[in-house]
Amino acid sequence: MDEKRIKELQKRANEIRKEVLEMCILGKTGHVTSSFSCSEILTTLYFGDVLRYNSQMPRWQDRDRFILSKGQASPILYVVLANAGFFPKSWMTSFCSTNAKFGVHLQCDIPGVEFTTGSLGHGLGLGAGVALAAKLNQKNYHTFVLLGDAELYEGSNWEAAMFAGHQRLNNLIAIVDRNGLGVLQPTEDFLKLEPLERKFEAFGWEVRRINGHSVKEILGALENFRGHKRDKPLMIIADTVKGKGIEFIENVALWHGVAPVKQEDIDRSRRELENYSLEEEYE
Amino acid sequence: MNENISMRDSFINEIYNFAKTDREVMIVSADMGAPALDKFRVELSNQFLNVGIAEENMISVASGLASEGKKPYTMAIMPFTTSRCHEFIKLNQGLMKIPVRVIGIGTGFSYDDSGPTHHTTEDIAIMRAIPNLTIYSPSDSIAAAKISRITYKENKPTYIRLDRKIQPIIYDENETFESGFKELRKGFDICLIATGSMVHEAIKVAKKLEETGKIVGVIDLYRLKPISPEIIKVLSRYKKIVSIEEQILDGGFGSMISELITDNSLQVSLKRIGLKDYVYCYGGRENIQKFCNIDAETITKEVEKL
Repeated sequence: MDEKRIKELQKRANEIRKEVLEMCILGKTGHVTSSFSCSEILTTLYFGDVLRYNSQMPRWQDRDRFILSKGQASPILYVVLANAGFFPKSWMTSFCSTNAKFGVHLQCDIPGVEFTTGSLGHGLGLGAGVALAAKLNQKNYHTFVLLGDAELYEGSNWEAAMFAGHQRLNNLIAIVDRNGLGVLQPTEDFLKLEPLERKFEAFGWEVRRINGHSVKEILGALENFRGHKRDKPLMIIADTVKGKGIEFIENVALWHGVAPVKQEDIDRSRRELENYSLEEEYE
Repeated sequence: MNENISMRDSFINEIYNFAKTDREVMIVSADMGAPALDKFRVELSNQFLNVGIAEENMISVASGLASEGKKPYTMAIMPFTTSRCHEFIKLNQGLMKIPVRVIGIGTGFSYDDSGPTHHTTEDIAIMRAIPNLTIYSPSDSIAAAKISRITYKENKPTYIRLDRKIQPIIYDENETFESGFKELRKGFDICLIATGSMVHEAIKVAKKLEETGKIVGVIDLYRLKPISPEIIKVLSRYKKIVSIEEQILDGGFGSMISELITDNSLQVSLKRIGLKDYVYCYGGRENIQKFCNIDAETITKEVEKL
């Protein structure tokens, strides 16, 4: 992909952030910081010619399956799906209101959403089953699962990781949004997750570690993923920053699971996000 | 019917029969074995998946497979597929209605001397709390085979509770098991109601009482959810109902009958017989049941007092 296109995607990831912010301000809730850490990942998957999908036929049989295991980041997936044309953008304005189509955690009856998630440790096992079904049904779709790093404490992930490795599900791609923060503290302060690469390698995965805010690196990690000769599932550990784009909430545990509601916080969030999008740091 | 077998083996044999012609049918096992499974594993190896002793992943993988059109039956020892997986079943089967058939092996004290880790005395209470889950609880090997076929045709989220011991045959081959319950014996005034293996205790009690000239009814409620509305008419013919279960009473089978009576304003009394606590007691299932006062002899005395 040429540099211009990559730059456009970087910019688009920030436009997506702005829409997430506005949606959560209107709804007075939503996991803003968890959404912001994976904006480049979702933008690249959906608008960087990675995922195969048809927004007019959400259940198209040959679509790639994208499972957001960290279902609390639903705002960003909803914004991305609305931008991709799965449903009208007007749905975003009713987020968490009395006539809402959707609320804080991800809901499978929304076009483009595969499974209801929000219960952590839920997505990878489902993804392994969906990927195995592709093999058994001789289908070519790929299954993507986006995991939060702090959900890796759930043992079910490791049951699923062992299974996917043993079954050599090379049509399964998992991405860990490694923002380093749980709800209360940095992960390495309360219960060490590292070394993540070696853990997943030991479970039979091919592992790549990248800067999860760099579209270029995300695309690089996924290069030729359809035509590869890999015989293992692929794990991409994407180092990210929770709340990326709004400096005063970045890496601040207290901002987990909330939206700015005080007017001064709203103003500051908008201002800082605007400034961030002008930085063009990936030029 | 040839030699009698366990409900577990009978159910699996029938899965084998329809899995031979429908290659979408799969068994996903948490390293659970059974004599009837050996044939399935060898002859239909592409339709058999052992995920290891990892029940949560068993439910997840099966749900992923089912969402892509496969027809998986999961199989594990009962407490580990019910209590441990409850939340995954709630989400995948209850909320998202993904049609996995979850088989639990070992109702109540079926794993008698394995002890309380392997007893399942609260699955009715917790599983019936999940909306959209059909629950079957057969009482003999004929019921198990027929219900196996029904679950295949229905293609719905289902929980099936199977005993692992061989139980006497109650039904003949013509029984369809469509109605959800069967009044096995008609009686006056008193009716015993049970499910699964406890139906046999109910029959024993009815026979003991018959010797003393007391004729009581016996109902086998083999579909716990949804309960057939037809059962209301049958229950209302009686004055006193006795529910018998190998389950903790709180929220269990008797509670379910109590709800049925209350919700339909039936003019009958209810006596619930069941368990109050977990037990460390060995020497076989009968001995454990005796220790817990849910054996036929003790129940008979209780019913005589009514």
